[in-house]
Amino acid sequence: MNGHLEDSSRRQQRWMSWVYGGILLGLLNTFAIATYGALGVSRNYAVADGWLSGLLGLDFASTNSYMSGIPSAIDWLFMVSVGMVIGGFLATVIKGKLNVRSVPRLWVSRFGDSKPKRFAAAFAGGFLLLFGARLAGGCTSGLVLSGIAQLALAGFIFAIAIMASGIVTARFLYRRQSS
Amino acid sequence: MIAPLAIAAQAGIVGGTDARAVIIGLLTGIAFGAILQRTGASSYHMIVNMLRLKDLTIMKLLFLGIAVGSVGMYVVNAVGVAHIGIAPVYLLGIAAGGLVFGVGWALAGYCPGTALVAMSEGKADAAITVLGGLAGAATLAVSWDYLKPVLVDPLNYGGKSLNDVLGVNPLPVALVLAAVLIAFVIYLDRIDSRPERQAGKRLDPTAHLEL
Repeated sequence: MNGHLEDSSRRQQRWMSWVYGGILLGLLNTFAIATYGALGVSRNYAVADGWLSGLLGLDFASTNSYMSGIPSAIDWLFMVSVGMVIGGFLATVIKGKLNVRSVPRLWVSRFGDSKPKRFAAAFAGGFLLLFGARLAGGCTSGLVLSGIAQLALAGFIFAIAIMASGIVTARFLYRRQSS
Repeated sequence: MIAPLAIAAQAGIVGGTDARAVIIGLLTGIAFGAILQRTGASSYHMIVNMLRLKDLTIMKLLFLGIAVGSVGMYVVNAVGVAHIGIAPVYLLGIAAGGLVFGVGWALAGYCPGTALVAMSEGKADAAITVLGGLAGAATLAVSWDYLKPVLVDPLNYGGKSLNDVLGVNPLPVALVLAAVLIAFVIYLDRIDSRPERQAGKRLDPTAHLEL
């Protein structure tokens, strides 16, 4: 993993600076609001759940009260999430090669290289992310990036809550580690 | 391309969809995903180190994005049609949801959108996070009838924005917010640039791309 050949190929994949990235994200959200609406992601997990239950032959989407507020057809916002997967893939392969790996190096340095352990945390993390986001009505995209930009009070409250609990949790998880 | 479309048609999810919305949404998402990937926002390393307050890059990216977006959106709103949609305020549900979300954020090292992008980069743990997300959203849907009367209905003020509360036009509020956020981002960048925080961080400026 640490061969010089890989290092030189990776060196081509330089980061875009957060300054350009932040300006581009703001302009993209402006474009989004001028065309269809603000950027958001978390709702689409519920949309996908509705389809999955349909494919499995369950009546979940039509009988559940929460799902009655979730669209059942592809719409603009769902295509944004489809595009994110394509855009992330294209940006990765155009600039280098896919970052195929199971356990992040920082995680290895603290918790070891066990795949089941990392996957359990990744699954639990995803579960809490979407349970919380759907309860609050949005995620980092819909309530923070777009919500605060639209001056929604809900966005400010959500941002304070996620930063507070995210910082406490991350510092707790890495409490014995300085770097 | 054909197989997913056939499955989609079978599931009844392509009927009556506006083609222009589909194409613009797709292009918007491609740009969104590419920006998140190129800035390192889909990196476990970058997200967890932001939450550990070791490297504030993602926080700076997010706050600058909000600042530019806020002014952009309300300029569009002032000169033409903006599809503004103010999220409802329900203190208990948003605070509880946010606290739960934050724990998941630190555990997964991704948020719902960056997990999708990281998955597309080939990161298997991000794909697992997406699966966990599908389970979490389904669980919330199943428990909605129990949670709504306790966390969503009380202290629910509907869609309220900062300018509603202040009783002023949104554009000046957006400009002030942008100025405050940019000042804060400059302050964060000064903290991030301190020599002791640089030690070990920039030895290999691309190392965290795979992380």
